[in-house]
Amino acid sequence: MNLFTRLLNLLIALGCFAIAGIALAYFFINEKFEWIPEPILELAREKDLLEKPEAKRCADCHKDIYDAWKKSRHSISWTSKTYIEASENRTKEKCLACHIPESVKGEKPSPRLDRRDEGIYCVSCHFVDGKMNGPYDLVAPPHPTYRNPEYVRSGFCGSCHQKTFKEWKATKEEDTCQDCHMPRTQARLTQKFGLNLLHKKKGVGNHRFLHGEISEKDILMEASFQDNYFNISLLNKTVPHGVPTADNGDPRLYLYFTFYNSEGEEVDRAKEILAPQQDTALPFNKKVNFRYRLFDPINRVSVVLKYQPAWSKEKELVWEKTVQP
Amino acid sequence: MSFARTFLIYFTIAFMIVLPVHAKDVVLKEPPKSLDQFYPPHSKQPKWTQQMHKLSNHFGGVFINLKEKDFENVDKHADKLVEEYKKTSEMVPEWEEYFDLKAAEAFAAAAKTHDMKKAGKASGDLGKTCGKCHAEHQISVWTKYHWPSFHKIKVTDPSSEKEVEFDKFMKQISGSFKSMRVNFGEGQYDRAAKALKAFKSEYMELKSTCSKCHTNDDVKRFYVGGDAETAFQGLAKELNAEKPDPGNFWKNVGLVGKTGCKNCHLTHRTYSKIKEIWEEK
Repeated sequence: MNLFTRLLNLLIALGCFAIAGIALAYFFINEKFEWIPEPILELAREKDLLEKPEAKRCADCHKDIYDAWKKSRHSISWTSKTYIEASENRTKEKCLACHIPESVKGEKPSPRLDRRDEGIYCVSCHFVDGKMNGPYDLVAPPHPTYRNPEYVRSGFCGSCHQKTFKEWKATKEEDTCQDCHMPRTQARLTQKFGLNLLHKKKGVGNHRFLHGEISEKDILMEASFQDNYFNISLLNKTVPHGVPTADNGDPRLYLYFTFYNSEGEEVDRAKEILAPQQDTALPFNKKVNFRYRLFDPINRVSVVLKYQPAWSKEKELVWEKTVQP
Repeated sequence: MSFARTFLIYFTIAFMIVLPVHAKDVVLKEPPKSLDQFYPPHSKQPKWTQQMHKLSNHFGGVFINLKEKDFENVDKHADKLVEEYKKTSEMVPEWEEYFDLKAAEAFAAAAKTHDMKKAGKASGDLGKTCGKCHAEHQISVWTKYHWPSFHKIKVTDPSSEKEVEFDKFMKQISGSFKSMRVNFGEGQYDRAAKALKAFKSEYMELKSTCSKCHTNDDVKRFYVGGDAETAFQGLAKELNAEKPDPGNFWKNVGLVGKTGCKNCHLTHRTYSKIKEIWEEK
């Protein structure tokens, strides 16, 4: 056997060992992590991860989750202009618990003193009682993660979104907050090169916390003319909580009516404000009726529904309809 | 000038000076600026109030422990009282003269004799220093630091959808309420019906305003709740009827005024007005 053949054989053998090693590690990490001796895991632990690190530190491995969170309202719960104005420069005590929660675990949290600029960040939700928690049990060599079923239940979000949680509970719908606002896709929990190859894909929740894309299929309208009245009803058909909803913010739906006569001239206008703070938000699957007295003969009514989130002065068009007698 | 006349003149002048005290006028002086640092937003905690609680607890602690014959704690509270009293006297320079350190030390010494009578007697001089300051400033401090500044609150005008000053909005809502009443009184029912629409939407907007400070929904529903809602329905029913019934109309007007306007004004208006005057200066 010449030298070249020997070297080639050696390389092939090393390659086989490497592949077998990776396969074995993949198997143990994903299927039988409880078989890995603790002293071996200890060698890979990164202790600072269990000392309430900043979100950027978590991004070393969980880049995709971090990027999504960074775009979320949660990441700016302490720094947003709307919050600063509404809380009179953060002096309203009632806001603190949920805008800078220490640890979210199913009940109203306590406010924290450190890292306030991070708002509702990784540690707030995943670091509970000195341990990293999540929807999965994971060996995750840098830090162990313990499965807590609360992470896929609405009660977890209800720690802060208490009124919305109550509204949802009253609907008896099965879809949880996470199903709609943190839809899962099959993805890797870590993007760190090397570690990403060792982790099986799992259902990963969207940490952007998707928010209110409402349309014609969600809010249904029925309208009719009767004597000298215009009757209209709205039905929140698909969203299992009030639309809009908020514990302390002031999101609104604006429902505009413009009444025209047969000449096409505008003869009257009316408006409804549908807002949780005014107890006028649209409840789930229950018709809400409005009635307008017509002072002049009407040929056509234009009905426009717009949505204004709590943090914006801008309104988005939901739908626009025309009704004729 | 005879002695009697001179005496009479001086007596009259002296009596006139003393007279305002007898008149029981209430004078609310704005607390000094230096107190700001002990209340939010300058401080995260209402430190001045906490300091008052400390003094009160140590003062009370002396008597509670004397009664329980726990003399070790009597001494501790007496010492802490003097320490905190001294610290408090240095917190607001403008109020330094209200404090009498000798009275505090005398009280502590009397307390340490563990004789209830002696402590009680010595507490009088010390208590007077607290009482004088409270009589002159307690309401002012509550007003300034514990009540919201309504004129700083912005309200979304439901008509223009723009944020307006609270005071301006209250004038607007008062105008809509008046317009409905005046038009009804004149028999202009269609105009009154239109004014009711504007008034109701402005009135409901106040629910959002309450929520800016109150997390408990019961608060806003106390002012703008079921009773007001029923009254609005009653008003709409009358204004859309062929022949409105003035009795029902005015009964519901009264209900709206009583449940919402009056209750809220009684709770908030006095303090808000005082703050407004202070902040205008």
